[in-house]
Amino acid sequence: MLPLEDVKVLSFGTGGVVPDAGKILGELGADVIKIESKDNLDFMRTIGPDMNNIAQFNEANRNKRSFGVNLKTEKGKELVSRLVKWTDILLENFRGGVMKSLGFDYGNVRKLNPQIVYVSSQGFGGGGPFSDFQAYGPMLSAASGMLSIWAQPDDPYPVGSNSPLPDHMASKHAIIAALAALDYRHRTGKGQYIDMAQTEVAVSLIGEHYLDYTYNNRIAKPTGNRSTYAAPHGCYPCKGADEWCAIAVFNDVEWRSFSSVMGDPAWTRDPKFASLQGRLKNVEELDQHVRQWTSGLDAYVVMEVLQAAGVAAGVVQRAPDTLADPQLKWLGSTVELDHPVSGKRLYPGVPFRMSGAPPAQSTAAPLLGQHTEEICRDLLNMAEDEIQRLVKEDILHTPASSKEGGTSILG
Amino acid sequence: MTTKEGALSPYRVLDLADSKGAYCTKLFADLGADVIKVEAPQGDPGRRMPPFAGDVPHHEKSLYFLHRNAGKRGVTLDFETPDGRDILIGLVARADVLVENSPPDYMAGLGLDYAALRQVNPRLIMASITDFGRSGPYKDRKSSNLVDFAMSGVMITSGYPGKEPSLCPGTPAYDAASLYANISILAAMHMRDAIGEGRFIDVSVHETSRLGLYPWIIPNYSYAINPGGPPPSSESRLGASVYPVYPCKDGLIRVIALTPRQWDALVRVLGSPEVLQMPDWRSFLYRIGNASDLYALMLEFTQKYTMIELFEAGKREGVPIAPILNIQDFYNSPHTKARQFFVEVEHPVAGKAEYPGPPYKWTESPARIARPAPCLGEHNEEVYCQELGFSRDDLVALRGAGVI
Repeated sequence: MLPLEDVKVLSFGTGGVVPDAGKILGELGADVIKIESKDNLDFMRTIGPDMNNIAQFNEANRNKRSFGVNLKTEKGKELVSRLVKWTDILLENFRGGVMKSLGFDYGNVRKLNPQIVYVSSQGFGGGGPFSDFQAYGPMLSAASGMLSIWAQPDDPYPVGSNSPLPDHMASKHAIIAALAALDYRHRTGKGQYIDMAQTEVAVSLIGEHYLDYTYNNRIAKPTGNRSTYAAPHGCYPCKGADEWCAIAVFNDVEWRSFSSVMGDPAWTRDPKFASLQGRLKNVEELDQHVRQWTSGLDAYVVMEVLQAAGVAAGVVQRAPDTLADPQLKWLGSTVELDHPVSGKRLYPGVPFRMSGAPPAQSTAAPLLGQHTEEICRDLLNMAEDEIQRLVKEDILHTPASSKEGGTSILG
Repeated sequence: MTTKEGALSPYRVLDLADSKGAYCTKLFADLGADVIKVEAPQGDPGRRMPPFAGDVPHHEKSLYFLHRNAGKRGVTLDFETPDGRDILIGLVARADVLVENSPPDYMAGLGLDYAALRQVNPRLIMASITDFGRSGPYKDRKSSNLVDFAMSGVMITSGYPGKEPSLCPGTPAYDAASLYANISILAAMHMRDAIGEGRFIDVSVHETSRLGLYPWIIPNYSYAINPGGPPPSSESRLGASVYPVYPCKDGLIRVIALTPRQWDALVRVLGSPEVLQMPDWRSFLYRIGNASDLYALMLEFTQKYTMIELFEAGKREGVPIAPILNIQDFYNSPHTKARQFFVEVEHPVAGKAEYPGPPYKWTESPARIARPAPCLGEHNEEVYCQELGFSRDDLVALRGAGVI
C-alpha cells in the first residue's frame, strides 16, 4: 500500500512549485488531478513548440491526471466545483487574485467543501503590497536576499544560477503544509487555508544570514565557496574545459591526509598551513597551490584519491554524470517512462525509501485533457453524450480537441 | 498570544540529528510538534558554526544553530553508554518520530536500529539521513554541504561562465534531505492512522539533492538525446544571459523577458526609447547572442529608475522584473512588514532578536516559533525527571558519569 492512496488532490498549478508538489504527492499514491485550460496554459507548456513534448513540463507533471476545462464558462466552473467537493487538498500557485477571479478562492471553495485543505503558494505570499505580483523562481531568489549572496566576492554582480531555485524547495514546503493540515483535519474535522510565500521559504533556508542582521546588524556579502571553518573549501579546476572538483578539508587530520595525497609537496610543510587558523588566514595562497595540483588531473581522479584518503571531495557534476554515478545507479535513482508524445525518456526517481511500502509509483505526464473523459465518467457520473457535447462546445478539452491550443512563447 | 494548537501538536519527535536533519525537525517544531533535540554531552557540532550572535564564538550563540533549532526542547545524552542507551529507549517508547543522521551502520552497532526500536514502539516512524545512502559503492564516503551541492547538478549552473561555480547560500543539500525526510515522515504518519504501525525511512543527501533541488536537469538532457546522433551538450553556467541583471538608481534588478510580448513590455517600462525598438531585439535568441551590446544600451535607461519603480512598472506592463534585495532590503520591505514575517524570539544567552518566522500563514492551526533554540541540556530535568521518573540525584549521578 502506498502511504497516500486515499488522498485526493486538485492542482491549479503552473510553472514549478505546485506541479512539483503534485508530482511528489502522486508518487506517494495520491490521486492528483491537474485542472488545465487550453486557452490559459500552464506556462511551462508554452516554452517549446509542442505543448505535450516539453522536458520540464513532463517532469513536473508526472503522476497526475489532466482535466481539460474552460474555466471561463459557467458549465466549466460547475464541473470543477463538483471536483472541489471530491477534493482533500487543493493546491494553487496562480498569480495572486486569479483564483478569486475564477471564483475558486478559499472563501468560495470552503462553501462547497468546508473540510478542504487549501494551500496557496504565491511568490511573495498574500496580504501585502506585492501579493498579486507575478513571480518566477529566478525573481524569488532575487527578491529574498538569497541572490545577493549567491556569488563570488569578485563578481561584478550576483547572477546565482540558471535553475529556478528556490522553486523546488518551496514545493516541498507546500507538501509538508498540506500533509500536516490533513493530519489536523483528521483529528479535528477542520479544514483550513494556508498562505505560503515562496520568498519566505528562501529566507528560511538562509535564516542564519538574517539573524546576522537582526543580532549583529551585518548585511551579508557574497563569500563564494569559502568557509570560515574549513580550508581548502571550494571548487578547484581540473583537466579539461570547465571541469571542477569540490574539496572540503575541515580539520588537521584531514589536512594531513590531503597533503599526503598530493605527495607532501614542500609548501604543505610551511608552518603557516599547519593549523586551520593558518590555512584560513592564508587561504588565497593555499587555494593557488591546490589549483596547481588539481589542474593537471581529471576531476574524477581528484575525487577518488581524496575520498580514498578520507577527505570530502566531489566532482561538480552535470546531467550525464548523474546517469553514470555508481551510487545513484546502485540506488536506482532514475526512472524511464514512456510518454505518448515524447517517447521513452529519463526522469528523477523517488529519493527516499520506506519500509513495508511498495516502490513509489511514477507515471508519465498527461497530455492536455488526457483524463477529461475518464474523470467525467468516473468521478462526475456524466453520460457519454453530455461529455461529447461539452467537448464539441469547447467547454471540455481532450487531447484531440486541444490540438489548436498552445503556442511557443519563443515563436 | 494565540492559544490554538499547531497542526502537529499531539506528536513528539526525537531529534538525534545535527546539521543534516535540523531543518527537518525545525519544520515539525514550527507546526507545534514537541521536538526534543537529543545531543551528545559535548553538544551538536552545529553549535560551533559561525556566524555567532555578538560575533563571539560560543556554543549558545551560533546563528545557524539558533535558527534551525528554534522551537525545540533539548536534552543531553550519550547513548553509546549502557545507561544512556536505556534512557534513549525510554524516550523512544514515548515518541512518534525519530530523526537521525549517523553513518549507515552506527545505530545498528548500538542495537538502536529500527528493527530494535520498533520492538519498543511499533508505532515509531524513524527517518535516517545519510550522506550517500545506507548501502552502495559510496556508502562510506565523506561529504559536506559543499560536496553534495557540487554533485547536485545545480552548482555547474551557478555563477559566471568560465569562473568557479558558486555555492548557494545556506545548506541547500542538507535541507533537500531534511525536506524529503519530513515529507516521507508525514506520509508514514498518514498511513499509520490506517495500519497502526510505523515505518523506517531511508534518505540520503546525495540522492535528495541530486533529484530534488533541480529535477529538470535529467529530463532536459534526456529529451535532447537523438538516437544515433552525437551526445547532447549538458547544462552549464549561463550567467546573466538568460536572466539579465541591470543596475538601477538604488541597486540592481533581474529581468525575465523571454517572449516578444515581455520584451515589448520591458521597452515600455523604460519609456519606449527608440534604440530599444529595433525589431531584432524582440527575439530572445538575438538578445542572448548580443548580450553585451544590449547591456550597454540598457544601462542608460534602467539607471533612471529605482528597483521598486521598475518592479511595479514591470507588473503594470507585463514583464517580470525583480529587485535584487539584500538582507536589509528584504527585512525592511513593506511587504515583509505587512506579512509580519519576522517574529521576536528571546534566547537566554544569545539575547533577543527578530527571527524569520515559518514561511506560511495558517487560518486554523497557527505555525509559530514557540520557544528559542534550547541551551545545551536545558530540558534534562523537565524530560528526565518529570517524564521518565528520574530523581534529581539520579541526574547528578548521570551527569557525573558523563551520560547526560
